[in-house]
Amino acid sequence: MSISSNIAIVGAGLVGRLLAYRLAKLNYKVSLYEANSLTTNKTASQLTAAAFTAAGMIAPISEALEADLNTYYLGKTSLALWPDIIRQLSLNGESVDYRQLGSLIISHPQDIAELTHFERRVKQLAEQCAAKYQILDTAQIKQLEPNLGNGFAAGLLLEEEAHIDNRQLMSALLNQCLSLGVAVFDNSVVSIKNNRVISPWQTQSYDWVFDCRGLGAKEQLPKLRGVRGEVLRIHCPEISISRPVRLMHPRYQLYLVPKPNQEFVIGATQIESEDTSAVSVQSMLELCSAMYSINPAFAEARIIEQNTNLRPALPDNNPQVLVSGQHISINGLFRHGYLVAPAIIESVICWLQGDQCRHYPSLFAFQEPNSV
Amino acid sequence: MNSNASKDDLLTLYDEQFSSRFLLGTALYRSPVEMCDAIKASGSEFITLSLRRQNPQQNDGDAFWQMIKETGCKLLPNTAGCRSAKEAINLAEMSRELFSTPWIKLEVIGDDYNLQPDPFELVIAATELIKRGFKVLPYCTDDLVLCLRLQDAGCQALMPWGAPIGTGQGLLNKYHLNSLRERISDIPLIIDAGIGSPSQAAAALEMGYDAVLLNTAVAKADNPVLMARAFSQAITAGRNGYLAGLMQRRQTASPSTPVLGQPFWQQHQGSNQ
Repeated sequence: MSISSNIAIVGAGLVGRLLAYRLAKLNYKVSLYEANSLTTNKTASQLTAAAFTAAGMIAPISEALEADLNTYYLGKTSLALWPDIIRQLSLNGESVDYRQLGSLIISHPQDIAELTHFERRVKQLAEQCAAKYQILDTAQIKQLEPNLGNGFAAGLLLEEEAHIDNRQLMSALLNQCLSLGVAVFDNSVVSIKNNRVISPWQTQSYDWVFDCRGLGAKEQLPKLRGVRGEVLRIHCPEISISRPVRLMHPRYQLYLVPKPNQEFVIGATQIESEDTSAVSVQSMLELCSAMYSINPAFAEARIIEQNTNLRPALPDNNPQVLVSGQHISINGLFRHGYLVAPAIIESVICWLQGDQCRHYPSLFAFQEPNSV
Repeated sequence: MNSNASKDDLLTLYDEQFSSRFLLGTALYRSPVEMCDAIKASGSEFITLSLRRQNPQQNDGDAFWQMIKETGCKLLPNTAGCRSAKEAINLAEMSRELFSTPWIKLEVIGDDYNLQPDPFELVIAATELIKRGFKVLPYCTDDLVLCLRLQDAGCQALMPWGAPIGTGQGLLNKYHLNSLRERISDIPLIIDAGIGSPSQAAAALEMGYDAVLLNTAVAKADNPVLMARAFSQAITAGRNGYLAGLMQRRQTASPSTPVLGQPFWQQHQGSNQ
């Protein structure tokens, strides 16, 4: 394929923006469509992409335990790719907070069975793929995170794991897309028919159309579903925590992820529902008591946002690149957006450039294009 | 007696018959595909779900619910998280409407620490729901008097715990469970909660319990599909063992071949040759 390929990307969430940015850097001609406004002064919480609500953890080990080995490998690849992406952005004046300080896994004494179970599974994973972990005692936990409350007798450090300021990243990617000459069409609800992008006022043909709409692609991916997640963002000047802290919980892992300016994201519930109504009292209590138990000083934190969003997921909760003629859908990143997006995008670019050996074959599925 | 008893040995709950004695929960799986595969491997015909934790809302295009429906299993909504009879009755009514089923697994929790059922509120809720035409399967403790009250309320099956929810401790009080089975012999009893391993499920069936309901032990296994199959086999084995009639335990050893009358050289074969 010639490098001058004309490419449309529909959906300016994390995948859409990162793909647009990477392709534009490689001198492809890129048009980026987004149904919502990208320029108005909406607060981040009003934007619909799950990428804004996310906590921005890049945690291949923790996540692989709830998913599979592919997730781990995609995550490891992403961990190798993120620093370069961040460096490139900063060379162009876009600073994005990215830290690889590991993540800390702890539990309350009454949930110690969950921690033991987690530890057993980390060990199994380590045997399969050399994942690195350290078992910590109280003193070591205190040394790593002096601001953690008392009563955490045991924990794990997953030292390779990282976290990113997702909102800085999202705006940095959009800015860079614009300065690299990507044609950005926001407020554009479009439909896709093979290589054509159809809006109410025009139909445009491309060499390739990438469908990165997340749940917006439901009409074309009938098995796609949304999984409700509820997240709080707090401001707490009193407490400094330098790495994500995961607290074991019988139903889901709750985590606290530090953000710049003494902000923290606490998440996330995981409920099989496409209900996007506000955070429930039950979830609020669970999230708040989790953070309170990490350190009672969080009682004086201010809740600055409470967000509900839907994670786009396929039936096996794994991501998929579905190639159908010239229409390529990248979807189902579920709760793993920042963990897997760079790896998936590099894999897609390798495939696009005909490099068969560097992409993940298990990620790809192929189907006959609809004869429309 | 029929050597293949399990073929026509059916579980009857409120005049409906089930060939599987394994009721399985739908929470905590890593993905819907894994959940469906585990349900299939379990052979279960009756699966529980929680309106509060898995909320289909009015969204009938929801792919998750489509997958649940495609399992072909009968749905048993629960009232997990309810703390009073009133709350449980309201949630049961909502579930009946949403899932179009009169079945309800009635849970009224009285203690947050071990999620122990509240026996007082449970009886109130069961009485009212039976009046309203529900097929109530109450999650209860192994207390005999409570179980008798629930039966008086009109429950045609009871679900005493083996141990607190999610603990995997198995059948903690076998004395209670045995006397419960002896005293309540006319309606099915299902062990709900606390089962952690297939051998514990087999033990419940061997004791004469009619079925087992569990979730965590399968969903949180490293390989939920294999674990579902293991439980299914254990439940069948336990049931067949019960039907076949267990031998009586004895204090002293009793050789299976009579020693008396056996030539002495055969008795010492192997060691004295």
